[in-house]
Amino acid sequence: MAHEEVKGCIILKDLYYAVQDNTWVKVEGDDVVTVGMTDIAQSLAGPILHAKTKAPGTARKKGRPIATVESGKWVGPVKSPVTGEIIEVNEALAGDAQLINRSPYKDGWVVKMKASNLEAELAEMTTGDAAVEAYRQKIEQDGIECTHLEGSDTY
Amino acid sequence: MEDFEGKKILVIQTHGVETPTRTYSPLFYAMAAAAMEIETMVWFTMNGTNQLKKGEAEKVQLDPTSNVTLKTMLEMAMDSDVQLRVCQQSLELWDMTQDDLIDGVEIMGATSIIELSLTYDHVMYF
Repeated sequence: MAHEEVKGCIILKDLYYAVQDNTWVKVEGDDVVTVGMTDIAQSLAGPILHAKTKAPGTARKKGRPIATVESGKWVGPVKSPVTGEIIEVNEALAGDAQLINRSPYKDGWVVKMKASNLEAELAEMTTGDAAVEAYRQKIEQDGIECTHLEGSDTY
Repeated sequence: MEDFEGKKILVIQTHGVETPTRTYSPLFYAMAAAAMEIETMVWFTMNGTNQLKKGEAEKVQLDPTSNVTLKTMLEMAMDSDVQLRVCQQSLELWDMTQDDLIDGVEIMGATSIIELSLTYDHVMYF
């Protein structure tokens, strides 16, 4: 999968990103998307202790929480990058929240959603080289350096 | 996770910069509540008030290897939509005025906080 690395932070080019909220969207087709936290988000949070997702069937407007995540030093929401309904949650996170740290773009996905305004909302996100550039600026501006737990995905 | 939308929590913080280990947790709980879409207010009174004086919270750093200070925690709480309020009477205790307060903190009197506490779903005292 095409990717770039900036200060240790992995950015996959085929995902869509809500850069400010540090979330990603993978378009699965038929208005279904997978949503997760970025490598930058997991680095900033540090080793995650708990991740609690909203239940399937929950309707979310863009920007509302789809989950709460807590580490030893941070607690906050994972904000939905799209408007729609949660149709599936990553049950594995309940037993091993550090999946988000080790595999933010694969096994550590957070929810799948059926989006109701996908085309317009994807247009507001960034993807490809534009996403890499947006994160490069953010990483440099905020002095971010990504760190990875043992056993993290490699690219 | 249950849906707590519409619920309200009031966190009362009475500890200040002289007891650093008692300053982070109330803000952390407040941020957790805000992340759960619970309307959250932190009410600073007694010694709690002194952490809101400009220049004070920056000096409190629990983990010397981290760049997170009490000021960072206060800013993160405000970024999470946690409302910060300070007791008017306790400002006088610390010889502070509105000009001494960090940005984003509002002053309220004792009767207002009593009124508010009766309308909140839960009050946490520290």
